[in-house]
Amino acid sequence: MSHERTEFAEFFQASWGPCLRAVVASTGNVQLAEDQVAEAFARAWLSWRKVRRHPAPRAWVVRTALNAGASWWRRRIRELPLAGHDTAVLSDVDDGLDAALLAALRHLPDRQREVIALRVFLDLGIDTIAAQLGIAPVTVRVHLSRAVTTLRHELSPSQATEVD
Amino acid sequence: MNDNDELNDSAVLSAVRDTISGLPMPAAPRLEAITARGRARHRRRLAGVSGLSVAAAGACAALVVGLTGGGGSARLAPPHGAGPQHEAAPQRSVPGVHLAAFTVAAGPDGTTTLTLNSGQVVDPSAVRQALAAHGIPALVTAGEFCRTAVQPAPGVGSVVVLPGRPLQTLAPGQKPAGPGPIVINGSAIPSGTELSIGYRQDPNDREISFTLIVAGAPLTCTSIPDHGPHPDDGPSGQS
Repeated sequence: MSHERTEFAEFFQASWGPCLRAVVASTGNVQLAEDQVAEAFARAWLSWRKVRRHPAPRAWVVRTALNAGASWWRRRIRELPLAGHDTAVLSDVDDGLDAALLAALRHLPDRQREVIALRVFLDLGIDTIAAQLGIAPVTVRVHLSRAVTTLRHELSPSQATEVD
Repeated sequence: MNDNDELNDSAVLSAVRDTISGLPMPAAPRLEAITARGRARHRRRLAGVSGLSVAAAGACAALVVGLTGGGGSARLAPPHGAGPQHEAAPQRSVPGVHLAAFTVAAGPDGTTTLTLNSGQVVDPSAVRQALAAHGIPALVTAGEFCRTAVQPAPGVGSVVVLPGRPLQTLAPGQKPAGPGPIVINGSAIPSGTELSIGYRQDPNDREISFTLIVAGAPLTCTSIPDHGPHPDDGPSGQS
């Protein structure tokens, strides 16, 4: 195995989970997120010489995945009312999870969801997120604050207590 | 923003993390699958700049799916004999749908034909509705391939005929064709069963997969068609 492939393999194994969770947080659908992340990693492998030098390779993968999947998600939303069994696609989201919180996540503006995903699941700092998104750190803070304010309303008191 | 706000923000973010982390996440695919997908993408990109030859190849790759309500073949007869196979029986007088991306039309002998054209983005919802109008219960997905834990009898091989493909099944007297119609015996789809049709949305890589699924059962959808045997398959696993 070449050095590049070994390096990519290590990155892939270590990053699959966090990247997938970040994309799930944005899309609300595990199956679609799985495909989007797989596609993003495939693109990362194609551009590995560039991605490996990226300051936040996982962020590159997540952003690529989200860009690849945006149209699918919108299409899914349109499909849901049309056939009962299609709702099964979302059943994984409702299974043991706070459906209201996830619904709130899905309804956040794209940029706010992106900030949440990068912040929570990739543990990126404000400045790094700002650099990734090409916006000012203060704008990241605003997006984060607005997203948290929205999500807070969906949290049950027990959840807030448990986390506190 | 005071300390309490900070704490509350942290609590919210932790709740989000815990909620998502509670999801049963699929394991990472094999590295080979990722790198192969990357190579395929690379090939498509190279092909995309080669102009007319690719366009011609794409035209040849136009996929035609035939859906037959009767089939005229004992081999393709409904497995359970009498009785309607679906609540919505095939409506043979339903007019066809002719769009740039696909066509659904009534064929001879009660058949319905579906053509997915290359070089077009096909809306799965529109395809599903068009098929439903012809009495074909289908789950149509783009970019993912869905199946249920149990793949019901009679098995997709008895329902779908893929001309020119390794898994093709030919009805008696039927001649294999090149990029010709794929035939689906709609009446062989038992009640409570649907046909899952998944395809890649990439107009230049129209991989398509068929399987039978149990209507209403939980779906497992993957980015790559899963043609392998399922643990629940087999006589005891049939429903």
